[in-house]
Amino acid sequence: MTTVLSEIKQNGPDQWYPVPPGSYDEMLNGDGQIRPHWEYAIRALRTLGMPELERRGTEAAKLLRENGVTYNVYGDPAGQSRPWQLDPVPLLVSSEEWGGVESGLQERAELLNLILADIYGPRELVRKGLLPLELLYNHGGFLRACDQIALSGKHQLVVYAADLARGPDERMWVLSDRTQAPSGAGYALENRVAMTRVLPSLFRDSHVHRLALFFQSLRSGLNAIAPATVENPRVVVLTPGPLNETFFEHAYLASYLGYPLVQGDDLTVRDGYLWLKSLNGLERVDVILRRVDDDFCDPLELREDSRLGVPGLVEVARRGNVAIANPLGSSVLENPGLLAFLPGIAEHFLGRPLRLPTAATWWCGQPKELDYVLANLDKLVIKPTDRGPGLSPVFGHLLSRQELADWRDRIRLRPAFYVGQEQEGFSTVPSLVSGGLEPRHAVLRSFLVARADGYVVMPGGLTRSAPHKDDMLVSNQAGSISKDTWVLASEPEKPIELVTRPTPEQVAASLSGALPSRAADNLFWVGRYAERAESTIRLLRSAIKKLYGDPDHSANEYTESLHCLLRAVTQLTGTLPGFLAEDAQALLREPEAELLSVALDETRIGSLANTLRCLVQTGYAVRDLWSSDTWRVMEDLEEHLLGTKRYVQPNLWQVQDLMDQLITSLAAFSGMAMENMTRGNGWLFLDIGRRLERGTSLLSLLRTTLPQQRTEAVETLLIEALLDTSDNLICYRQHYRNNMELSAFLELLLLDENNPRSLAYQTARLQEHVSKLPRDKTIGRLSLEQRLALEASSALRLAGMEELTAVAESGTRQNLDQLLARLNYLLVALSNAVTAAYFRHESAPQPLAPLRAT
Amino acid sequence: MHYRVIHKTEYDYSEPVGLSYNEARLLPRFIANQFCHATGLVIEPLPADYREHEDFFGNRVAYFSLREPHQRFVVTSTSEVQVVSQAGQLNLSQGTDWESVRLLLRQQRDPLTLEALQYALDSPFVSANAELAAYAQLSFPPGRPLLEAVHNLMERIHTDFTYDPDFTTLATPLSTVLAHRRGVCQDFAHLAIGCLRSQGLAARYVSGYIETLPPPGKEKLVGSDASHAWFSVYVPELGWMDFDPTNNQIPVDQHIIVGWGRDYGDVNPLKGVIFGGGEHELKVSVDVRNLGS
Repeated sequence: MTTVLSEIKQNGPDQWYPVPPGSYDEMLNGDGQIRPHWEYAIRALRTLGMPELERRGTEAAKLLRENGVTYNVYGDPAGQSRPWQLDPVPLLVSSEEWGGVESGLQERAELLNLILADIYGPRELVRKGLLPLELLYNHGGFLRACDQIALSGKHQLVVYAADLARGPDERMWVLSDRTQAPSGAGYALENRVAMTRVLPSLFRDSHVHRLALFFQSLRSGLNAIAPATVENPRVVVLTPGPLNETFFEHAYLASYLGYPLVQGDDLTVRDGYLWLKSLNGLERVDVILRRVDDDFCDPLELREDSRLGVPGLVEVARRGNVAIANPLGSSVLENPGLLAFLPGIAEHFLGRPLRLPTAATWWCGQPKELDYVLANLDKLVIKPTDRGPGLSPVFGHLLSRQELADWRDRIRLRPAFYVGQEQEGFSTVPSLVSGGLEPRHAVLRSFLVARADGYVVMPGGLTRSAPHKDDMLVSNQAGSISKDTWVLASEPEKPIELVTRPTPEQVAASLSGALPSRAADNLFWVGRYAERAESTIRLLRSAIKKLYGDPDHSANEYTESLHCLLRAVTQLTGTLPGFLAEDAQALLREPEAELLSVALDETRIGSLANTLRCLVQTGYAVRDLWSSDTWRVMEDLEEHLLGTKRYVQPNLWQVQDLMDQLITSLAAFSGMAMENMTRGNGWLFLDIGRRLERGTSLLSLLRTTLPQQRTEAVETLLIEALLDTSDNLICYRQHYRNNMELSAFLELLLLDENNPRSLAYQTARLQEHVSKLPRDKTIGRLSLEQRLALEASSALRLAGMEELTAVAESGTRQNLDQLLARLNYLLVALSNAVTAAYFRHESAPQPLAPLRAT
Repeated sequence: MHYRVIHKTEYDYSEPVGLSYNEARLLPRFIANQFCHATGLVIEPLPADYREHEDFFGNRVAYFSLREPHQRFVVTSTSEVQVVSQAGQLNLSQGTDWESVRLLLRQQRDPLTLEALQYALDSPFVSANAELAAYAQLSFPPGRPLLEAVHNLMERIHTDFTYDPDFTTLATPLSTVLAHRRGVCQDFAHLAIGCLRSQGLAARYVSGYIETLPPPGKEKLVGSDASHAWFSVYVPELGWMDFDPTNNQIPVDQHIIVGWGRDYGDVNPLKGVIFGGGEHELKVSVDVRNLGS
């Protein structure tokens, strides 16, 4: 370490860290010296060496990816989600400075809270002329339907985030306020988890303030706003769904905090209360942590075209029967025009100016201010006061003369809809860029939550830095890089257990308690798709093995058994017409292309790639229910799937390789589900899905191969292949040697209840499972699901081997055929019955045709 | 004048509706020159939940939800209302000129002016624009008294525009109405409001009814088979003054007010979100009976 220190002294940081002159840097002071609170960390990082730091960065990226930390980018054709990017060099903030920032943020949150309460209450600010009516009433976030609706406690603004940056005057400035449904806290937590894993000793020795307390405060803050009569409030996280840009975070927070993750159609309004449609029926919901934009929350009173909301929600809030954090209408505070009036409002409410400065802002709705903005447009940032697509800030200094003139016209036309804002230069932070440290502009998002006794600030937050030098615009959509933020304590802080991922108890809680019906539906399909993928792989492998397995292709028996398997591939995957086409002779002779397509063509329904895509997507929709280990397996599957896109000229050897890897991942997935999931309703549906699928797959295989009697040689070959397909070859040989005989085969694969791959095993499990499903216990008779499962299971138990193997005059094994057909019917009916009884496939709501005044 | 209004709205669905959430603005609001003796809603099927509140604009709202599966949904509102005719003859050529009113709206901060100012802003159905301003201009020469200008605007709309229930729907933009000079009372009210807002004035949309049976010897008025709509303009010394461009008249005692807002969207008589229902058919009837004075 001394050597590095002396190197720093000899060479000076300017040798390895080029700070642009005139800009404030977080690490270096004006004389090019390292600021005291950075000394320790930067020395340690330099001792580690840049190559090693890069390696750690890669490791962190891997961790984040494996945990499924993603950010969805709208309109990204390459795919839905993009891995979250983390720079391993944290932003350091000294305790002394943080103290000031913290109290400044608390003060600002209190002020915004007062403003929010006033806007939807007495509107004294408007009457006193402290807030122009036009500014407030023209804003789309001012929801008139929510007028006079208030949470019962002291705070209306429950969660709050502010984007901070250091201005040229070395003070921390507030760039913007996030009051609607601030995102990022979950990402900050994931970043922290990754950092403590890849730089454990540096983290430990730096005495960094911990984040866990903040999330405890969030929990108690949400409990505190619940309607007064409720003792143990039920809190849910309301998400727009897996396509939302921050869905990962919604799932992560829900699972971390132990709340059900729900979408609008998981909820329903009844008798003036809000209910969760769970498997156990309707369960009261008292508090919503909202991640759906407020105007989308109720198609009755807000946006009529919204598919993400709950009709009647506003009325429930109006009656005080549900508390929503943040309340509907809170986005009104995100109006940048408000900044121009904050000083006056602060003076009015607090009797003093705000401690944290905000960029000077001029609202063009006033004549003098308009003139100023028009005259100085080339130096200002133009921001629309309202929100909406395509309404993003415009930097005056980047505009051409013509563009400036156009903007002046636009502003003159509707001046009340624009502000001009002073453009601040932010400070730079050291960032790891291609093997060295380089300064990048950065913005820190900090998070607050209201508790009864005031606002609690997360010590740290989410720092995002611009990807390019001199770039000032920092946003996730534009591709920024995130950093952990370390607030350094002067002495070591007592470590608090930071629960970094859902504990088994939390998973159990979310699985047994109120499992939303939609989540059960998804789990059922995860079970089905996982099993479908597995059986597709097994059959494809057998077929390919057979195709390349024997040099003596001329043998008729061999060819017939191969063709039989190929037809089974089409039948099982449902990729018709395929090998079942009437004129499939050529295809059967040269099956490679068709097999490749069945394996890899993602656009073909039923193909392996398509099934895997469905599996990953369905699994993602219930992301909150998976442990991180289980999710890692899902990520592996996704990787493999992406890997296939890189094949230049795919061939069946590659496919075989791929399938070997996939089968391991799928086995790991089912193992996780078996060993790590508590046997709650969630698991039941997952396993019902799996058993049903395994049963129907097996039936499909048997029905295409066995009823038709063939020559003994062909049947021997087929039985061998089917045993191989079902992973039962070894087991069979142990019992029956190499003697491939139909009755022994049927015994093992159809009737043996101890063989986890047999049909009897599936029906026995299904019978057990459906009897455990939640149902009205007062009804004395068996449910439809129970009756179907019972019949299937009994049919197999009562089947006699002699009848099954008997061949009718027509050359078919009629009894076997009939039994298989009946079983198939029963399993399909069972699947439909479970779907009808437990999954709500309601039609989407529609608005009534309006009455017109004529 | 004393009226009984029966307003019946009926939806017939091709498929059953299992759940329905609704908001009705059918109960007349409380105002100075209109006394509501009795009012109530009859809803079929019987709602599972019903509650009234006052909305942002002071209108009476009935929220209700239906849980009984149904294929027919009927809401009937019955109200007995006494309309006190607005005293005295208006002298249109007196009073403040429209430009001073525009200025006043933006300078005075007393509660009444502030309350009025919100109706000078754009709203979802009615935004001020250059075309509307151009149409309005003829009625608004410099220095003209506000009432005279608005009256003239009303007359011009009545003359220039054809009443045509088949031309527009709720979704027809104001620019189309202006370009083709056709529409119904709702369109004419919106048009007038847009013209006034484009002059910087405050105007609101009034939803209500008009007497069905004309006094002997007089013609039946347009807009009597359904709910009616007109507009109101803010006049500092008088308060809100109503104008009915569809019938080219200043309401005296034949107009019954249910509510008002920035535009139709704020006083939609019956809103709903339903689950199921398939296609639906809508029937509306309004009966305004004069019970004497």
